[in-house]
Amino acid sequence: MRSFEWVDARSVDEAASLLAATSATAPVIAKAGGMDLLDLMKEGIVQPARIVNLKSIPSLGDVRLEMSGMQLGALVTLAQIERHNGIRSHYRALAEAALHAATPQVRNAATIGGNLLQRPRCWYFRNEHFHRIAEADHSEHQHHAIFENQQTVMVHASTLATPLLAYEASVHLTLGKGSSRTVALKDFLLPPSMQRDRDTIIADGEILTQITVPPIQPGTRCAYHKQTERDSYDWPICDVAVVLQMNDDVVASAKIVLGWVAPVPRRAVESEEILVGRRIDELSASEAAAAAVRSATPLPKNAYKVPILETVIKRTILAAR
Amino acid sequence: MSSDPLEQRTLSAGIVGDALKQVTRNVPRGEPPAWPTNAELQVVGKDVKRMDALDKVTGRARYTFDVQLPGMLYARTLNSTVPHARIKSIDTSQAEKSPGVRAVHVLERLLQAAELRDPGEEANEPYPVIRFAGQPIAAVAATSARAAEAALDLIRVEYEPIDHVTELEDAMQATSPPVFPGPTEQHATAGGGGAAKGLPQKGNLRGPSKGGSRGDLERGFKEADVVVEGEYRTQVQTHTPLEPHGVVADWRDDELTIYASTQHVLSVRDEAADIFQLPKEKIRAISDYTGGGFGAKYGIGNYGTLAIHLSRKARAPVRLVLDRREEHVSVGNRPSSLQRLKIGAKRDGSLTAIELRSFGSGGVAAGAGVGSCHHSMYSCPNVSIEHYDVFTNAGPCAAFRGPGQTQGIFAFEQAIDAVAARLGMDPIALRDKIDTRDADDVRARAAERRIGAEKIGWSRRRAPGSDTGPIKRGIGMAQSMWPYIVNSYTTCEIRIQGDGTVEAFCGTQDIGTGTRTVFAQVVAEELGLHAEDVRVHVGDSRFPPGPPSGGSRVTSSLTPAARNAAHAAARDIASRVAPLLNAKADDLIFRNGRIERRDDSKTSLGFAEALRRAGIETLVHRGDRRDDYEGYARKAGELNISPHAIGGVQFAEVCVDTQTGAVKVERVVAVHDCGRPINPKLVESQIFGGVIQGVSYALYEDRRLDGPTGVQLNANIDQYKIVGSRETPQIEVHLIELLGGQSSTDARGVAEPANVATAAAIANAFFNATGKRIYTLPMTPANVLAALRAE
Amino acid sequence: MSVAPHHPPGREAPGTFGPEPQPLSLLVNGEVHTALADPATTLVEFLRDALGLTGTKIGCDRGACSACTVWIDGEVAASCMTLAIDVRERSITTIEGLSREGELHPVQRAFIEHDALQCGFCTPGMVMSCAQLVDSNPDCTLEDVKTAISGHLCRCGTYPNIFKATLAAAEMTRTAGKKK
Repeated sequence: MRSFEWVDARSVDEAASLLAATSATAPVIAKAGGMDLLDLMKEGIVQPARIVNLKSIPSLGDVRLEMSGMQLGALVTLAQIERHNGIRSHYRALAEAALHAATPQVRNAATIGGNLLQRPRCWYFRNEHFHRIAEADHSEHQHHAIFENQQTVMVHASTLATPLLAYEASVHLTLGKGSSRTVALKDFLLPPSMQRDRDTIIADGEILTQITVPPIQPGTRCAYHKQTERDSYDWPICDVAVVLQMNDDVVASAKIVLGWVAPVPRRAVESEEILVGRRIDELSASEAAAAAVRSATPLPKNAYKVPILETVIKRTILAAR
Repeated sequence: MSSDPLEQRTLSAGIVGDALKQVTRNVPRGEPPAWPTNAELQVVGKDVKRMDALDKVTGRARYTFDVQLPGMLYARTLNSTVPHARIKSIDTSQAEKSPGVRAVHVLERLLQAAELRDPGEEANEPYPVIRFAGQPIAAVAATSARAAEAALDLIRVEYEPIDHVTELEDAMQATSPPVFPGPTEQHATAGGGGAAKGLPQKGNLRGPSKGGSRGDLERGFKEADVVVEGEYRTQVQTHTPLEPHGVVADWRDDELTIYASTQHVLSVRDEAADIFQLPKEKIRAISDYTGGGFGAKYGIGNYGTLAIHLSRKARAPVRLVLDRREEHVSVGNRPSSLQRLKIGAKRDGSLTAIELRSFGSGGVAAGAGVGSCHHSMYSCPNVSIEHYDVFTNAGPCAAFRGPGQTQGIFAFEQAIDAVAARLGMDPIALRDKIDTRDADDVRARAAERRIGAEKIGWSRRRAPGSDTGPIKRGIGMAQSMWPYIVNSYTTCEIRIQGDGTVEAFCGTQDIGTGTRTVFAQVVAEELGLHAEDVRVHVGDSRFPPGPPSGGSRVTSSLTPAARNAAHAAARDIASRVAPLLNAKADDLIFRNGRIERRDDSKTSLGFAEALRRAGIETLVHRGDRRDDYEGYARKAGELNISPHAIGGVQFAEVCVDTQTGAVKVERVVAVHDCGRPINPKLVESQIFGGVIQGVSYALYEDRRLDGPTGVQLNANIDQYKIVGSRETPQIEVHLIELLGGQSSTDARGVAEPANVATAAAIANAFFNATGKRIYTLPMTPANVLAALRAE
Repeated sequence: MSVAPHHPPGREAPGTFGPEPQPLSLLVNGEVHTALADPATTLVEFLRDALGLTGTKIGCDRGACSACTVWIDGEVAASCMTLAIDVRERSITTIEGLSREGELHPVQRAFIEHDALQCGFCTPGMVMSCAQLVDSNPDCTLEDVKTAISGHLCRCGTYPNIFKATLAAAEMTRTAGKKK
């Protein structure tokens, strides 16, 4: 890891103006928990000339849970989310995703903002060799996308994005000096690319400051499941978040999101449509799961993910409560 | 090798509590009298706490990784970015001028890889030909790791690429690019390995080696009532010790000190002496603590060679420790295998024919055979064995816990399980029928099958695939066999001071197996002391020669030498103390920190007091590892192989989610023998480790290379997957005490036996759960779902 | 956990550091230590190379094996994925600072008693995670222990004994608490 200049930002405005000075020859990069950034730097994929420390900015680390919904400051850690009683009772899928991410050590440091902004975990992407020396042909794509994989086979790494999309969260971006915008999370994430230096629509000098999650209505059931090879600590084969709005025993609306199977987490609209107007039972869950994978276009080495995804969708629907 | 005169003695042999009987052995004269069973001993056979545990839980234990010397430089290695190439030129001039850089060295010769029998045109190459991505080329020593790393970027290497191949089955094709332009030889290392000399080689295919073949295969299959056939595949597994390979080399004046993370300090000294043409007395290798090895840490390797060169050039100590990527890629792995196995059996279970053709790839190194179990474990008159090495452009293999045998048993014990299924025989009953040689391991396994079957609840075992839902459970078992190895040239020294201080020395090392502790226990037993009263010194090549920590041979080699030295010391003390207690030396015994009369324990002296009153100031005794009382079946250099092997039987209970392909090993019952267990607690720890590594091999670990570039994609800890806390099954260890009447302690090793059978036991449990065979490791969801789909 | 009498002096904000090495003060095991470090220096490098506290190990250098575990303000952290400069004004506890006044932490005692270590390279990190668990939750269950070390790699396979040891240490802590 090469050395760099370090600046403690005192405010969002100051951070934004520091970040705006970035250039190809002297990259300026924001750091929150630093988990992803340090990994990229150690691999030689990112070499900042200057790092802007966001942790010196007060108030970006708060969880606000109100009738109108939830605001998560960008510096809220995964450990905070996993332990927060309000999140655990109201946004269970999110708490579960946080609990099953990475290691306890990493969860204590990693932030929700950094989690959404992290680069793909693709083993070609994470290897300097395929940035500097050889082209990645992704012939070892067992962990890659089974949907929408014509342009890129890489998948977004954030597992918290999966439930946040099901909760229809949005992100707050600010350029400083009062200039800011709010973007639905579904419009925020872009298919990963080895050529670009980020996989979101965030602009140079823009800072993700907050995540907003709409309120949970009475009669909402939700569940999250991350399917892995190992339980101790692993990246997903796939992860699934289910948020069901129930009218008595019948589904009024459904949000089902599939992570790690497409370049960006994928809404299983086909499944959602099947569930609306029906009770949740073995049959409806099976039909919904089957519909979700019908349009899968697996690659030679990742077709195994299709039946697994189907099973996980079904089980997660049945687990929603 | 000792050629001492022998005397006949009558000794107890057999399983303690089961079938002890008297045997006659030819014992080298001067050996101490045989110990009674563990129950009658004071320190040996007891759960003495690990000697170095305090240093380890407080962070005080100093590993090579932690050595910091004044003026020490930090070295980093430049590795090939291409999988196969000739190097046309290397320009280090910019790197040499880089800030903080003190020395740069380019490697002249590549160790560990196979070498051309006839170097031919390669003899004229200015640099070693690159045969795998990540092959070390050069190294830089600088005042900081950061400065060294920055300088690496300034070294210019001009490659002339050559076609490459990374996959085993591609490399087997006649049209494949050859990894080597001609036939090769693979030299053994202290860790074993190596390959039979002079075998034919066509393209990348070297072999066959046919050891163990016998009888008439065709007739054998004709006589068979059933024949089972299968094609088994195992993956490449990397050792992944938590402390990477590394050295601190300190060359000053004409003396070289090497701190090394190693399984054998003497191999470090010897390889350095060989490469640098130094007399061995000028070199000192030190390893206080080694953070795991599992077979890959012998000698100085390429990284050690570079560090020593750099130290000599810079005239300063140089630390070269591999990073995690280098550790995965360039310093060893368990080779892959493709095993075509065919077994014929009669209706009563007796085997009539075994045919094995195995192909394994250890990358650029040979030594990928799949062990000896096929021809040596069970009675069978007709056996045909062919092992082939297949070269690929990948990092070299090295010995890895139960090398060859772990791969071999995975296939072989599944095939035996399949024979049982075809015959409608209980797999345990089949083993009772065929596991019948006249040897200790056979007798041990017979007992172990009985114990294990009871503990796991074998009678609960149902027909294959009995569960009707998607979640299926099953039980399986597999047997282990590993040679009982004794290392020649093992000598221990005991030094006793007049103040009662007892020190024990041996040039072996403790890599985490508990060597210090068993050493102390044996000495303490003889001197009637507590293990903590004995200060043990290992991990220094200047101590009397000791065995490598590999081949499960330290305890079997070290403890008899330790006992012999301590016994001699005790007898010496007794003769001097006897007049003080009005006794004959032979009537004195050492117990509870005292020296007392056998017939009158009240007439006694405290150990230190006895030494003082006898006027003893310093006492030094040495003891050697004498030959086993029944001799050996085979000798290879310093390695002696007993006709008796080490057994072990493992039972596994698994749960298979047939919809997600997730396999969970819920429980393992591991029943083992290791001769006389010196410290059952430490043996249990070793067996836990063997089982857990076996689960990890069976379910998760898999080195993945990118075909087009030869680059390892998962050279890290998160994507190279290893068992963690939540994948650890409930493990129950049962140990038998087996006396062989072979040495003064009768101890044997257990590290490898504990690892060899695990994957096969899990695979057999998988079959019992699902009714399907799993022929391919690891049992990832992808491989499991494919196996469940198969006919 | 040891608590410092005072925090190290911070620099005048806004801090701009590096890229050249500058003096950096960290509160480690209750004492302020100052050494030269550039901003790219990780906490584990600072501890080991600048302060000579080599008890904390580096296994993977990517936060995936947790051998480098230390406490930051009493919570477990991967010191290889933490920049030293990022923990100014925090309190760091390493394995060297775990035993107080020469008395071992109950987890350390239990690790010895239950042989919860083999090669020992992962042990300091394991001890830090298990000690944090026992201190914060003496009523911890086997599942809690498995979770606490779910990010740790022990290649020797000491997990079963780590489970036993940590639960035994928790038991010791509960008993000691009751006596008080």
